[in-house]
Amino acid sequence: MHDNNKLPAVALSDRIDSAIRRLTLGIGWCYVLLVLVIMLQVVLRKGFSHGLIALEELQWHLYAVGVMFGLAYAQTTDSHVRVDLFHAAFKTRTKRIIEILGILFLLLPFIAVIFIHSLDFVADSWRINESSSAPSGLPWRWLIKSAIPLTMALLALAVLSRLYREAVLLVRGE
Amino acid sequence: MEANEILVIAMFLSFIALLFTGFPVAWVLGGIGIIFAFVGQWADANLDTFTGLDFLTLGLVVNRLWKIMDNWILVALPMFIFMGIMLDKSGVAEKLMHSMQELFGRVRGGLAVTVTAIGIILAASTGIIGASVVLLAVMSLPAMTRQGYAMPLALGTIASAGTLGILIPPSIMLVIMADQLALSVGDLFMGAVAPGLMLGALYIIYILGYGLLRPAAAPVPADARPVTLAVLFNVLRAVLPTLLLILVVLGSIFTGIATPTEASGVGALGATLLAVYNRKFSLQVLKDVVAGTTNTTAYIFAIFIGASCFALVLRELGGDELIESFLTGLPFGPYGIIFFILAVIFLLGFFLDWIEITLIVLPLLAPVISALDIAIDGYGVVDNPQLVWFVMLVAMALQTSFLTPPVGFALFYLKGVCPPGVKLTEIYRGVIPFIVLQLIGLLVLVFVPELVLWLPAKAYG
Amino acid sequence: ADKVLLKTPVAFGTNLPALGTTITWVADHLDKVSDGRIRMKVYEPGKLVSPPEILDAVSSGKVNSGYATAGYWQGKIPAAALFSAVPFGPEAGEYMAWLYYGNGLKLYQEMYDSAGYNVHVLPCAILSPETSGWFSKPIEKPEDLEGLNMRFFGLGASVMEKLGVGTVQIPGGEIFGALEKGAIDATEFSQPAIDTRLGLNKIVKYNYFPGWHQQATIFELLINKDTWGEMTPGQQATLETTCMASVTNSIAEGEAMQFPVMADAKKNGVEIRYWNQQMLDTFEEKWNEVVAEKSAEDPFFKKVWDDLSQFRAGYDLWESNAFLPRKQAN
Ligand code: NA
Ligand code: NA
Repeated sequence: MHDNNKLPAVALSDRIDSAIRRLTLGIGWCYVLLVLVIMLQVVLRKGFSHGLIALEELQWHLYAVGVMFGLAYAQTTDSHVRVDLFHAAFKTRTKRIIEILGILFLLLPFIAVIFIHSLDFVADSWRINESSSAPSGLPWRWLIKSAIPLTMALLALAVLSRLYREAVLLVRGE
Repeated sequence: MEANEILVIAMFLSFIALLFTGFPVAWVLGGIGIIFAFVGQWADANLDTFTGLDFLTLGLVVNRLWKIMDNWILVALPMFIFMGIMLDKSGVAEKLMHSMQELFGRVRGGLAVTVTAIGIILAASTGIIGASVVLLAVMSLPAMTRQGYAMPLALGTIASAGTLGILIPPSIMLVIMADQLALSVGDLFMGAVAPGLMLGALYIIYILGYGLLRPAAAPVPADARPVTLAVLFNVLRAVLPTLLLILVVLGSIFTGIATPTEASGVGALGATLLAVYNRKFSLQVLKDVVAGTTNTTAYIFAIFIGASCFALVLRELGGDELIESFLTGLPFGPYGIIFFILAVIFLLGFFLDWIEITLIVLPLLAPVISALDIAIDGYGVVDNPQLVWFVMLVAMALQTSFLTPPVGFALFYLKGVCPPGVKLTEIYRGVIPFIVLQLIGLLVLVFVPELVLWLPAKAYG
Repeated sequence: ADKVLLKTPVAFGTNLPALGTTITWVADHLDKVSDGRIRMKVYEPGKLVSPPEILDAVSSGKVNSGYATAGYWQGKIPAAALFSAVPFGPEAGEYMAWLYYGNGLKLYQEMYDSAGYNVHVLPCAILSPETSGWFSKPIEKPEDLEGLNMRFFGLGASVMEKLGVGTVQIPGGEIFGALEKGAIDATEFSQPAIDTRLGLNKIVKYNYFPGWHQQATIFELLINKDTWGEMTPGQQATLETTCMASVTNSIAEGEAMQFPVMADAKKNGVEIRYWNQQMLDTFEEKWNEVVAEKSAEDPFFKKVWDDLSQFRAGYDLWESNAFLPRKQAN
């Protein structure tokens, strides 16, 4: 729905973006699964007065996966919210330079910090084989935690693709 | 002024400056956070500060990100988004408009009232401002133009009616506020019902009054038919399924059958069933809804994540204490401070939208409000009545941020779907009376806290 | 180090009596006792980092200290719960005896070391018994518990699970909402003085005692080991002594503040009940099963449990002779 501002074509970036979109949209079906899990929990809890803690936890696992992988998707569709008050009036060239500088000095450092620190975070969880703190909760907490470095890498890829696109277009003068 | 206070102010100013470059808000927040962590480290070494910030402490961002993922309250958010997009695709809203227009056809300003009424219904079934505004505009703007409505009135009606969804429950904003301040989602939902309806009523009164004073601005259609039983029946038939869905979602939260999370799931499924019922459902529709949900949820959460980094560094720089001591030190008395805070939020709303304001400012304000000595009656039922009331004031102040230029998301959504001839200044002009109405509503709420607290007290008493 | 600033995220809001006020007391006293050479800045829950992330944050040095209770880490280290509260376990006096004059403290530190956490641990408060929970109906026999969803903390949660209760460990601030929405039917949180703050008595009226699952609860100050190593012996001793003083202060405060609140609650229609013998026996029987399973699953859990049990077996001779019998509630 937010696909309205199509970016000009750059072959390599187009290929990377479409691959990312295919992957993340596939993962987006976890939201449909989430609807079903919630309904199952409602039925179990109200119908048989026995809700499952594991299902409760599965809900936020699914939501977390959807959100985190979605970040890269929204990057390829260029839907992250912008204040375009002045932006709309800027020359295309200015916009490209802003985008390049922003990616280099704001976005990539941010992704890098999260990615680097998440490695230890996941490794610790793996080392102690962390599980839910609820006795009948889900095991393998490191699995869902590894979504952080994974999705940050994917987001970085989407961002680099955008960086390449902007650089090429800037050089081409488009 | 101390060095770290200068850093806090510099951080805020850089944020606002970089916002206007048009780089995505989420990444400006995150990036500024990272940069000022290193500025803090530099200041520790070279100035008289003791922030303790460095690359290592920035690692807390990961723990904070994890707590955003590991949060069973926020699960409701993508579900409400799913529901909103599915309703849009199910064709329900379109039907509603058609039949209700017939019902109000002969009243001066009837069509605009219809738009507001549907805005309220949409608001009570979802809360996705973008969806509501776009929907209302697409369905009603051509009709209003045809009938000869004055453009500013038409545009203002659509934008304001579309924004009601953020206040009238279910509301993402209230879910997030409850999470931020450890308040009951139920109290906030129930507390927002009366203020939300009051706003809707104010809009309708204004439209009708405007139509009386300036008949040319809101003409009666030439081909209006009288309201017959058949028309009434048609309206009922069109509205019933949607009303049922709303009843199920709100009712299941209200009666405790379901938690807000569960209700959001029920709503998502219900919207899907409505689409099936209207023969608008297909695999492609589901794919579109999945894509839309993925996209919308992601860009909202990106702002969460960025704001989390920004807030972390701001706190370590001592921003909390600065704002808190500034606000509590104001020589205004309790109500003076409340007005001052609301004014600040209203002004922030010109530039920021509710997500950033909520995530950054609200937690800072909670202790300030708790420290104020204002006796608000929770009827012995509502916990923290003072805070619940205050949150509702903030919620209403934030609602205006959608409408206030220059940065008002409702205005942007509206501009996106208007015919090319419509100028942004026309939209600005159209929303001004509605902003005034919201400020009147806010004033009423300040002095009549019962509007907020009576319903939750009755519901849970 | 010349001066130390301990940035201390805490697990409970400092507005909560006992759970939170104790750390404010520590921060105040550290400043005075050290003549300003050790300062502690307390961060409310979630301001820097949320409670379950405190251990990780301190260990990795993202913050240099944290205040919580070890039961929070039982998903990471199964034995951790034994250093928080033990069902049918020791009361405060006996718990402190094991910690300070038995092997408790040594094992406590060994637990974090062997799990690879870079923290130095100091017990820094001990709380009075908790209530056993709040229910919407009387619980007379084990079957009355079946099918309930309940907020429950620590090792006791496993016992409740064995009795057919679904347990969750949601944070204090979310309990009221979950109860009022029916997401949970019953809850355990803390002591009367604290539970009343959360307003639990508004929704569920049956308040059961004794808190078999938490007769005494230890709170810990975690300090990053590198920070600890950089402190002078004097600074280390100051921290240790202040924490020990806090242990005294917390038990005194906890013992003093419950009865007025209970008297009030009683007036407002709260049913204060004492578990009947059948229920207590059932809880204990299930607890013995749980502890056997946990010991079989985790060698370090077994090591701690065996040591504690051995200490308690010896203590029994003293305990059964030294104290007057207690008056029973009903
Ligand atoms: Na809404
Ligand atoms: Na605005």
